Amino acid sequence: MKKILLITAIILGFCAPSLQAEELRVSAGANKNSAQVGEEVRLNIRVSGQAMNLQAPRLPKLDGFDAYYTGRASHIAFVNGVSSSNVEFTYTLIPQRAGHFVLGPFEMQVGQNMLRTEAVELDISGGQSTSSVAQTPSQALATGGNAPAQTYSSGAQTPPAPPPQMPQDETVAVSPGTDDNIFVQATVDRRTLYQNQQMLLIYSLFTRYDTRYEGFEKEPETSGFWIEEFPMEREVPRENVRMNGKRYIKADVKKLALFPTAPGNYTIQPGSLKVSIREEQQGSNAFDEFFSDSFFTGGSFFARRQNRLLSPPPIQLVVKPLPEQGKPAGFQGSVGSFRLTASVDKDKVKQNEPVTLTMVIEGEGNIETITRPKIPALTGFKTYDADTNSKLFQTANVIGGTKSFETVFIPKEEGSSFIPPLEFSYFDPRQEKYVTLRTPNFPIQVEHSEQAFQMPQELAGNSLFQKKVRSEGKDIRYIDEKRPDMLQGEVEDKIFKTFAGADIVLTLILLLLWVKDRKDRLFSKDQALRRRKTARSAASASLSKLKKLARSSKSDDVAAFFVELEKAMTQYVADKWDLSTYGVTRYDLEQTLTAHFGADDAHLKDVFELYRLCDESRFGKGSIPQASKKIGLKIFQDTVNRIERMRR
Amino acid sequence: MKRLTGFFAIMFFLLMPFCIGAEAGKLFEEANVSYRTGDYAKAGKLYASLVEEAPQVAVFHYDLANACVRLGKLSQAILEYEKALILDPRNADIRENLRHTRGLLEYRVEDNRNWYLKATEAVLKFATEREVYTVVLAVLFVFLLGGVLFFIRGRGVFWNLWQRFVFLVLLMALLVAAGKQVQSNLIRDAIVMQKECEARFGPSEHDQVAFRMGEGIKVFVMDRREDWSRVLLTNGESGWVRDTDIAEVKV
Repeated sequence: MKKILLITAIILGFCAPSLQAEELRVSAGANKNSAQVGEEVRLNIRVSGQAMNLQAPRLPKLDGFDAYYTGRASHIAFVNGVSSSNVEFTYTLIPQRAGHFVLGPFEMQVGQNMLRTEAVELDISGGQSTSSVAQTPSQALATGGNAPAQTYSSGAQTPPAPPPQMPQDETVAVSPGTDDNIFVQATVDRRTLYQNQQMLLIYSLFTRYDTRYEGFEKEPETSGFWIEEFPMEREVPRENVRMNGKRYIKADVKKLALFPTAPGNYTIQPGSLKVSIREEQQGSNAFDEFFSDSFFTGGSFFARRQNRLLSPPPIQLVVKPLPEQGKPAGFQGSVGSFRLTASVDKDKVKQNEPVTLTMVIEGEGNIETITRPKIPALTGFKTYDADTNSKLFQTANVIGGTKSFETVFIPKEEGSSFIPPLEFSYFDPRQEKYVTLRTPNFPIQVEHSEQAFQMPQELAGNSLFQKKVRSEGKDIRYIDEKRPDMLQGEVEDKIFKTFAGADIVLTLILLLLWVKDRKDRLFSKDQALRRRKTARSAASASLSKLKKLARSSKSDDVAAFFVELEKAMTQYVADKWDLSTYGVTRYDLEQTLTAHFGADDAHLKDVFELYRLCDESRFGKGSIPQASKKIGLKIFQDTVNRIERMRR
Repeated sequence: MKRLTGFFAIMFFLLMPFCIGAEAGKLFEEANVSYRTGDYAKAGKLYASLVEEAPQVAVFHYDLANACVRLGKLSQAILEYEKALILDPRNADIRENLRHTRGLLEYRVEDNRNWYLKATEAVLKFATEREVYTVVLAVLFVFLLGGVLFFIRGRGVFWNLWQRFVFLVLLMALLVAAGKQVQSNLIRDAIVMQKECEARFGPSEHDQVAFRMGEGIKVFVMDRREDWSRVLLTNGESGWVRDTDIAEVKV
């Protein structure tokens, strides 16, 4: 709706030039020409024609009247392409005395122009209407009937006030410093009640301003109560009432049904609600006229508004426990006024066939807290709790509803049987006594059947109806009587030891392989180093061979021995100083050894002598004695040992 | 003659364990019958002798603990259940009975330790010390074998993806093994054996009482001074108790 109005406003904006031409007119009128003292008279001031930023005209002091502004209304019409508009400001006048009065003319500022209305004449007679009789608080309470309400207002410490249906004129004490033109009352229909009995809490807003209700800023604190809220109409109904000699607009903005869950003294913190009041001095504009959606009247969406929080004082309650005297055994806490009906879906079945009993509890009270009536222990039936349905309704000031319980009975034995009466007990707070309702006695004819029991189709698949396996008690588990397998431990031990041994062996192998790998890599890069490092092992291998030849007594082996000895010696020296094995000459060898041993070294002479002996064995004709082999071996060994020591 | 003597000697050593096993089996059967017939005192004695003979068998500890529960010796029962759990940590019956028995105690200690300490304890208690070490050795074996094969085959890259994965697993296994080592040998669990035990602020009777606890409460021994042990509870309380008041959970 607002969107439509907005579009309309935009269109109007475009059409403004054509509308400007329309002439502005202001008129005033009353809804009646005569009234009695205290009777409400509505005064309207109408502005016809296109007008922008219209402010509500401020009425001059009207002698003999109480006057207050109640809002504005706008109207726009298009007829045959011609638009017309008007704005109407409404005031409520309450005559205070009798006489003939001429009101106005009233002046109104429209743009640069000051427009005037015509005067309005009123005849006020001296009679008093029923609604205008001012009452004291005690009188107001007295008219509340048998169930007087306790009312509290935001501005009063000792708040006397009527229930919602009270007469129109009341007196409310307002605390100094508070605005008595707007306040909120939290009304309860009783201050002493029974546990789980309904109590009504109504929030009423009283205002003399152009007011918009914005909702609850702080919700009421109602711990210890089961709450049902009455749905409120979108347009909150309002009524005119009198209080302390003043006229107010009253609206019930919230209505709750509370059910105390336990006995005791309770304090309800009613919370606070937020309202906005139109600031009269602020100007309005064209949009205001189209977007007027005030809670009460005349409020504008774009008008400047002042927010206020209104908080009624806490409410003290006394919740009495339900009397023990006369409490039925099957009572489960229901309070209110109820009726019970019951029915079965069939009265003739076969063995193990289900019969469904439906119980319906209907009435006023907290229907949600009603629990399933207890089913007595039945020997001839298996029983299962089936569906539960509840329906809540609010009528006037009462919460009520219906709740139905379905119970499935499965007869186990054939023959005539019956479903015994089920009881439902509640406490009636009006009569202040317990009431017990019973279902009828339903006879059931059970025919013989060979069919074994099984879960009824309507219940099958619903785990809710299957009985649960429950622990019946607690104890330690039984001893282990199986003879322990000793072998298993031994096997585990052996596996452990095998892995441990294998890991040690593998670690050693890995280390050796790693060292070898490192060595190979090093030697592959430096051949001289390799020859130098391997010279000793090669000499050792030759020495073994030479020893074998030395032990031989054959004459041919002597020559072979010295050939091998020369080769070994030459090879060793060449490896040690990286000389070419095949190209080395005797001169090279002598030079190398002389350079390292020194020319005067005695052992060097032995080496040269050994070479001479080798030459002789190879090329000489005379035989070399066997003993020379030992000397040759010794010289070779000494040479190797000495060179090894030198190199270090 | 010498050969004959040697043969008999070897046979004796081979058959000896079976002779002992048969004897233990007979005792075990007798203990089970006693338990079954409700003679828990006799069953308890027989199970105790079996535990003494073969302390590495979880079943004997478990059955002895059950007999102790029946006899009302709750602290002894809890001690035996704890020992059984060390030997057979994944046995649901032992865990359940231990939980049940703890529920019968007069005192209860809240476990206020951090979640990661609880989680670590739960993980480490999932396996025995021997099982953890065996796994570590197995992973190490795979790792070393991979290394040996690499050098023998002489090709490929040693630090390849597979080797890295095995190394990572090895590291984790070593970490778990280290944790198990700490749990088994450094954090010494003990059970309060006295009906009422006073923990003091210092290791002497002159020191003020810090807190009191009852039998069956599990404590961690943190320190020792002559006849006194400093114990720590899972709720963070710490105090000194007499060595005679507690028994270490050790097999």
